Amino acid sequence: MANQSFAKSVMKKATIGVIVGVLLVVGAKFTHFPYVFQVMFFIYAMLGALVFILLDAPAMKRLEGVKAVGALVVFYLLLSGLYIAGASILPQFDPEDEKGKIEKILKPRRAQTEQGKADELIARAKELDERAQALSKQLASLGAEAQVEVVEQPSSAGAGAATGDVIALGKEQWELQECYNCHKLFGQGGKKRGPELDNIGNLMTVDQLREKILNPKSWKAEGFDKDYDKGKMPDKYKDLMFPKEIDALVAFLSSLKDASVKTPKPIKMN
Amino acid sequence: MKTLNRSLWIFLVLCLGGVAAAFGQVPDAPPVDFPYAGNRTGVWVVAQLHILFAAFILGAPIFAVVAEWLGYKNNDPKYDRLAKEVIKVTVILYSMTALTGGLFIFVLLGTYPDFSTWLIKHFFLVFAVIYPLLFILETIILYTYFYSWDSMKGAKKGRHIALGILLNIVGTVTLFVIDGPTSFMNTPAKAAEGLSLVEFIQTAGLWDKMANYSWMPLNLHRLVGNVTFGGFIAGLIAAYMFMGSKTDEERSYYDWMGFVGNMIGVGALLLLPFMGYLLAYELCDYDASICPYMMADQLSMFFEMQGAMIGLIFLASNYYIWLSLKRIQGVDQVRISGFVALVVLLMPAIMGYTWKMFPPPEWQSLIVLGALVVLPAILGKIPGLKNFTVSAFTMIKVGFLMIVVADAIWMTPHGFVPTQGLATEEVELPSWAGELALMPAKNAAAFTLVFLTVVNYILYNRAIKRGTIIWGKIDFASQFVLIFLAFSAIWTMGLMGTVRSLTRKYYHVYNLVPDFSPEAFTPTLAYSAWWITGVTIVFYAVVSFAILVTLKAGSPKPVGSPASPIPAEAK
Repeated sequence: MANQSFAKSVMKKATIGVIVGVLLVVGAKFTHFPYVFQVMFFIYAMLGALVFILLDAPAMKRLEGVKAVGALVVFYLLLSGLYIAGASILPQFDPEDEKGKIEKILKPRRAQTEQGKADELIARAKELDERAQALSKQLASLGAEAQVEVVEQPSSAGAGAATGDVIALGKEQWELQECYNCHKLFGQGGKKRGPELDNIGNLMTVDQLREKILNPKSWKAEGFDKDYDKGKMPDKYKDLMFPKEIDALVAFLSSLKDASVKTPKPIKMN
Repeated sequence: MKTLNRSLWIFLVLCLGGVAAAFGQVPDAPPVDFPYAGNRTGVWVVAQLHILFAAFILGAPIFAVVAEWLGYKNNDPKYDRLAKEVIKVTVILYSMTALTGGLFIFVLLGTYPDFSTWLIKHFFLVFAVIYPLLFILETIILYTYFYSWDSMKGAKKGRHIALGILLNIVGTVTLFVIDGPTSFMNTPAKAAEGLSLVEFIQTAGLWDKMANYSWMPLNLHRLVGNVTFGGFIAGLIAAYMFMGSKTDEERSYYDWMGFVGNMIGVGALLLLPFMGYLLAYELCDYDASICPYMMADQLSMFFEMQGAMIGLIFLASNYYIWLSLKRIQGVDQVRISGFVALVVLLMPAIMGYTWKMFPPPEWQSLIVLGALVVLPAILGKIPGLKNFTVSAFTMIKVGFLMIVVADAIWMTPHGFVPTQGLATEEVELPSWAGELALMPAKNAAAFTLVFLTVVNYILYNRAIKRGTIIWGKIDFASQFVLIFLAFSAIWTMGLMGTVRSLTRKYYHVYNLVPDFSPEAFTPTLAYSAWWITGVTIVFYAVVSFAILVTLKAGSPKPVGSPASPIPAEAK
């Protein structure tokens, strides 16, 4: 009898859960929530139904001995599976995206360490050795009168700089230092933490931009008083970036001259 | 004899000299490559295990000494037995803490020798003197506290409780001391004017490095977390013992113990979101770029998972109150002002709006908050309105509805993307609903969860004053709820520990010592979840074994017979 009434209660609450879920989905669709949020709302409606089913569930029978141990093991497996599945269903950040970025940031810093210098020397010695071996093979196969063509290999370091494209390097620094997390640019990023910078090149000189990056307290953006007072812009770049990286970033920023975007006026502070 | 002694000493010195000379000619061994998992994951797993055991041995004594004091004050031997059983398990797990701590050092030195040496040199006094001395002191006090339990009874009980308090003081100081280097890795001291961070750290004193931005928030977060942990593990112990009990007396005792463990766990849990918020606030204050990294970038989905876990933990702890209420005879007569139910229903909307307009600590926000908390009590006393009441069960059902709603708000992200860089309209909130993803809405959701849990405990308190508790007759499902709570709390600790470590990005010490190893990237949430689950299971297995060995093997006889239904008020 109790089982029958519980079964009825389950049916009733599950039906209510589905109805509420469908109503939420329809409401969400009508108010322009994307599909993934509609799914989330439906899941929450079903979770609510499950909770209310559990509230009126009949008392569980006592388990003893092997049955109790078995139930515990199954329970742990279920929980483990649930948590792993839950974490796996959510969108995953691809580490490969970050690895390239880390390589670009850390490579020049590693090169400055003793280990880095040693690694570079070893790599260079290996490269020379390989080239010497290739040359002697060529000599041996072609004879002494043969002309050997030595191809100059460009150094991998500073390839971008060699092309003189400082602005491109500056844009790369913009990405690597994640300036986009606070500043909107080209209509992307930002979230109002810092001013939109599309027209900053018309408002600040190269020296002023450099001063702002090295000492964030030196300039304030109009309308960003609270953020300025709280010291929102990190004062770490003087320690983290090499001078040529800062130069490149400054060159990139000074090239931003889109007057159609209202970049807040910079105010000199100290 | 003297000659023999002298010869032995000379022999020993020669041996040592020989070993030193031999080692002097041997080139440095290369760093270890941790099999299968890699070095970073290897360190992560061992460190996480150590932290879990450490959290237990620091949290459980707080729980135990409070219980012992309650037993002494109320002359109730049940509390004394509870305290002693928890300490029994603590003593066993104490050795596991030391073992995993030693293992952690070895693994760290083997896998990251350069960085480990660097860190040890900067905190040499801490690692070589203060921490070991505190650990030894804590060991002596813990064992004295445990082994003097039976001899320090009656008139000596006060002194025994004082010993327990001393144990907790030393434990807390130990935690604070070791949190220094840990928090330093997240937020190394800010450089003095005119110096670079590297230059400043080279000359900074130990205190400058210890008292960094996140040190005190981390101390508070871990302290409260440890009490929560201790409470839930006491609940776990009770659940195991309840399931294995053969008599009604045993069942009634462990039913009661589970209730107390859950109450302390939940009580501390109520503070935990705010302590976590404080820690996150200080991290962001140190470097504002940490905030978007956590909330909108690589770690954003870790916080989604955290939202889900917190929601489940609140659901489960309130479900346990529900099951506890159901076994109280006369609970049907307990009622509460209907205005409380109304406040709970409206709270997320009102507080979300208020905190948006007046972010705390602005006084207007505190006024509204205070009014919401006090108003139902005032309105409930006004003639004509005081008859507007709802039953305890209705109120709790409204509470459950709002737990689901509050958790949905907590879990609503700005976009379902692993980084905002990939955000498109198809996965982002519509602009009109953007507020749902901001802090005022999240704070309102957290406050609602806390508020209605407190309301549920007030109802429970009223019920036990008016009704009759039948200890031991609780729904058997409640034991699985206790086990669920402990498992989920441990899992969440693992998740949040992962987040704290990952906020250092590709640095061993944020912005100061880069991690040049190939594993310096942010692992995926799914990958992390596998390891967190693995660590939780290993920890659970050891704790379960310790409980069975210490308590089940030598089950003491029950004290008193609380199984018989006794009106709580009469008692």
